[in-house]
Amino acid sequence: MNDKTVGISSEEHITVTNTKKESLRIQLDQSATVRSNIKRYYIYVVLVLIVFVFSVVKLDKFSFSEFFDRGHFLSPDSVINMLRSAVPILTLSGAFTLLMISGYIDLSVGSAMSLSAVVFSLMILNGFSFPFAFIITLTLGIVMGFLNGYLVMKLRITPVIATLVTLSLFKGVALLIVPDGLSAIKGSADKVMPAWINDYARKDVLFGLPWAFWVAVLVIVVLVVVQRRTLLGKYAAAIGGNRLAAELSGINAVRMVWLLYIIVGFFAALAGMARASYMSLGDPLSGDQMELACIIAVLLGGTAFSGGEGSVAKTMVGALIIISVTTGLMTVIPAYWQTVAMGSVLLAAVALNHLLVRDKVKA
Amino acid sequence: MKSTENVLEIRNLVKDFPGVRAVNDVSFDIKRNTIHCLVGENGAGKSTLIKILTGAYARTSGRILLNGEEYNSHNTRDAKQKGISTLFQELNVVDQLTVEENLTLGMEDTTFGFLRKTDKINKMIGVLNSIEPSIKPNQLVSSLSVAKKQIVEIAKAVAAESDIIIMDEPTAAISESEIGRLFKIIKGLRDNNVTVIYISHRLDEIFELGDYVTVMRDGKHIETKPVSEIQDRSELIKMMIGKTVFEQYTPREEDCPDTILEVKHLSNHRLNDISFDIHEGEIAGFYGLVGAGKTELARAIYGVDEYEGDIMFKGKKLQLAPDKAIAAGIALVPEERRSQGLFTILTIRGNVPVMNMKKISRNGFINDATERNVTLEYVDKLKIATNSIEKEASKLSGGNQQKVVLSKCLFADADLLMLDEPTRGIDVGAKSEIYSLIRRLSKEGKTIIIFSSELPEVMNICDSIYLLYDGSLKSTLRNSCDVDSENILHIVTGGE
Amino acid sequence: METKQVEKPVQLQTSLLGGKLSDESFITLFMVGVLLLVFAIACLVVPNFYKPQNILNLITNNWFVIILGIGVTFVLITGNFDMSVGGNIALTGVLSVYFCQGFNVSQNALANGLGLPYVVAVGLALLCAMGVGAVNAFFIAKLKVPSIIVTLGTMMLARGAAQVITQGAQRNTSLPDAFGFLGSWGIPGTSIRISVLVMIALIIIAFVFEKKTVFARRIYLIGANPEAARLSGINVSKYLTVLYIISALLAGITGILLASEFKAGVSSRAMGYEFDALVIALLGGVSIAGGFGSVLGMFVGAIILSVVTSAATGMLLSPDWQFILKAVVTFIAIVSQRFALERRKG
Repeated sequence: MNDKTVGISSEEHITVTNTKKESLRIQLDQSATVRSNIKRYYIYVVLVLIVFVFSVVKLDKFSFSEFFDRGHFLSPDSVINMLRSAVPILTLSGAFTLLMISGYIDLSVGSAMSLSAVVFSLMILNGFSFPFAFIITLTLGIVMGFLNGYLVMKLRITPVIATLVTLSLFKGVALLIVPDGLSAIKGSADKVMPAWINDYARKDVLFGLPWAFWVAVLVIVVLVVVQRRTLLGKYAAAIGGNRLAAELSGINAVRMVWLLYIIVGFFAALAGMARASYMSLGDPLSGDQMELACIIAVLLGGTAFSGGEGSVAKTMVGALIIISVTTGLMTVIPAYWQTVAMGSVLLAAVALNHLLVRDKVKA
Repeated sequence: MKSTENVLEIRNLVKDFPGVRAVNDVSFDIKRNTIHCLVGENGAGKSTLIKILTGAYARTSGRILLNGEEYNSHNTRDAKQKGISTLFQELNVVDQLTVEENLTLGMEDTTFGFLRKTDKINKMIGVLNSIEPSIKPNQLVSSLSVAKKQIVEIAKAVAAESDIIIMDEPTAAISESEIGRLFKIIKGLRDNNVTVIYISHRLDEIFELGDYVTVMRDGKHIETKPVSEIQDRSELIKMMIGKTVFEQYTPREEDCPDTILEVKHLSNHRLNDISFDIHEGEIAGFYGLVGAGKTELARAIYGVDEYEGDIMFKGKKLQLAPDKAIAAGIALVPEERRSQGLFTILTIRGNVPVMNMKKISRNGFINDATERNVTLEYVDKLKIATNSIEKEASKLSGGNQQKVVLSKCLFADADLLMLDEPTRGIDVGAKSEIYSLIRRLSKEGKTIIIFSSELPEVMNICDSIYLLYDGSLKSTLRNSCDVDSENILHIVTGGE
Repeated sequence: METKQVEKPVQLQTSLLGGKLSDESFITLFMVGVLLLVFAIACLVVPNFYKPQNILNLITNNWFVIILGIGVTFVLITGNFDMSVGGNIALTGVLSVYFCQGFNVSQNALANGLGLPYVVAVGLALLCAMGVGAVNAFFIAKLKVPSIIVTLGTMMLARGAAQVITQGAQRNTSLPDAFGFLGSWGIPGTSIRISVLVMIALIIIAFVFEKKTVFARRIYLIGANPEAARLSGINVSKYLTVLYIISALLAGITGILLASEFKAGVSSRAMGYEFDALVIALLGGVSIAGGFGSVLGMFVGAIILSVVTSAATGMLLSPDWQFILKAVVTFIAIVSQRFALERRKG
């Protein structure tokens, strides 16, 4: 082995490498642009596609006038029904998205929803006024969120396990509160659920849609704004993207995420009340699998598991997709296909999310 | 209050760790609004000094005066609030946010929680714009190159009105043209009331950029001088090396004729067209400073990272997987002990046999007695200081942890042993034990490659020395008793 | 050159017990202590709790959760979840019925199956169970998607498939005679049936596996430090795949046994079992952080849960209390284990 120097001069060598690095980067940039465009718009395409498919599937003949006729997917009755049943998930999944953007998860939202529905119904049944019951239930939601935040951020229990524990806790309490012999709080011989309980979630207020729906719309608008234009939204993304950098910049991650859990609890309670109002009963199992629906909506909307990015607006589109799919499938296949359909949609959403939210090539 | 000429005064600073004095009575001044470079070899103490400034370490004794007042910080955030911002090698930006969002992170103006675009914010954006107009505020940081991300961090530090910005090896990961732009920016900072402490081993940069330079060696302050008073590189190098007498290298008795590893035109995102041969039985050393590509090279050979090119080991092409490399007879002692080399929650016994389970098991069943004996054997052979092999690995000292990792790799019975920074953060005693071990292994016929940023280490034991700089193999030479260490340092700091 | 004096190791202790107890054994012992405490309380509160038959029941009544717990424990040790096991039980049970129901024997679609011999039906059903495991492995090991979400998805897929095949109800007719054997045969004179024997056998195998095999050791390594495991030559992807398939297989076996016991494939079978399996693993000291835990601990955890729930029944609490009890007990276990370990490390 002798003293050796590289064949070409170092100057040239450096230029060659720079060009190579630059051209590699240009290639990455181009494919990144294509990918980012797909990322931004695919979900709207998916929604349109699904709606179209379900609209067409039961038509005798293909004509636009039939599209919106009674009995079909896009008829006014059908749309109103879908939107009414979408109220809980629309109310809840926005806050859920914010939490996931910060990199945390709450699996107890379904049970929190059920418990809220039960408590709310119980109060209405026992003569409390709507506003009073409303406020108490919302407070319950805050308390549940506070508990979750405490377990995850203060005691530092893994979010999955902490919220599975609270899932069980809330569910248990809900089941206990329901009077013996009943499966839900709906009224008995001496106490009757007042008819006006339906008003919130069923009575036509505007364009055939009830208060609950418009409240949900308001919630969505507020949360979209929060996510895009407020400190909370920005900090959630910062914590999810690079917690260390966020904390170095002075952000108190513990407090922020704790707040997010409280917000999720609050909206879970709101969603629960909407469900109770719609069904005029408090069913301790009504919220089952709501967390799964939220996760699917969030995944479809392109939020990354690890946090840092995500969009409340797109999650809403995802929620609409879920509602369309479940409603549409009901017309086509028997009810017992629902679970398999949900599972497939979840796994498909996972695969889709993986393809779109992949890390860029690390150079 | 900024009437003092010195923005920072360091007086008799000492930092001790168990068994080693990393910073030894260091005193010097940093003048306001200058670019003050800090140079020194690995282990010279400069990173420790910086860590004290940023609050990561608490000093053992001595004083620091910032703008004439006592300075003490508990963590990086605290230091930032007091006026010292640091740009680390790991970027502290949030990729998923925009440039503007990163700039203003933690410093936003709000009304009822709503982000507002106030004059303060516009000023911050203006700072970025004046530094580098091609970075648009609404770009996603993830779309920026590393160099531009760095610039965003610089702008953030300036916008936070830091008195001092410390930059630690900032050019390690950026390209030539980007370096030029970075230098312009740094000079602009100086002209705008910011003092920059610039740490780099690339000596040309010192001459191009620096107003002052401080040289450290072995924890001591050697000299602080205006750059204009330094004649040339060799003067700097002499100060960095001093009169260190390298332990005598003993030339090999026999020649090593057979080639065991052939690397042909190896390239990847950090390496440029590297080719070399390693001969069976020799101890080869790859020397270079931060960012030279040593770890990337080790990982490529081991099959951890992707690459283009061919690697032939014992005549057969190596495949891209660590388990295949191990099966072929290569073992790697990784750079990061705790996160890559060790299973810290397991015991010594749980760590040592891991890479060669076959030898302590039969038909897939572990033989406890063999496992214990093997562990005891290595504890003894490597003199690991512990009173039980059931001790949790996280509880051992750095040197002993490294010995456990070494045992793990030795147990793999590899023919080629690669060690990435084998003695980093290890006390002198353990260091020399590891060197004797390496020599012993070589005598037993093993081939050894060391990747190191410590010149004495490489000069001490390696038969052949390969010099890396910026991802390229610049030069190779045979070790002997009178190798020109100045020339070596010259090459690895970017000289020709 | 100066060399630092190295202290020669004084008495090198190597024994597991009597010298330094491993953290895992410590936690298992700790939970045994908890078990005894809880048991004592239960005996005070519930009459006849200490009767031998009752104690036996405590162990044998939960055989299915324990079998599931084996798979779930190993998956947890690598730092992952498997929530699909309950759905897998339902699917396997339903398939085992469907495959061997008489071929074209009835007008009722739910009474018709593929007419295969029972043994073949069992084999095929188990294969399908492992298929579910393979789907899990694909998403988790290959695509590297968080396991909690994937396995919730496959849980719905499996249970959903069971619902489809049973049209939402169950299949329990036109079964061959052999069908009920596995679920009903027991050691004469006792209440110990095949399922319990299977559980015992599997626990013993699992325990030996965990303590003595190379495979298990690597699972711990993957959980302790996946990066170091990879650099030490462990093919993480391969091991995760095998683990998820094993977990699925265990769920499948449980499904077969349960279907045989009830002579029916019910689509709502095993609801919530995956949660129970997780609970007993956590009670037993398995840490989601990875690299720590033991099936023996899980077994102890199962008995603790058994004691708590049957004591609750004995105190005439409604079954709805189970949810709250499980939540509280899990929480106390996690926090007290953390506390105990921290105290131990001083």
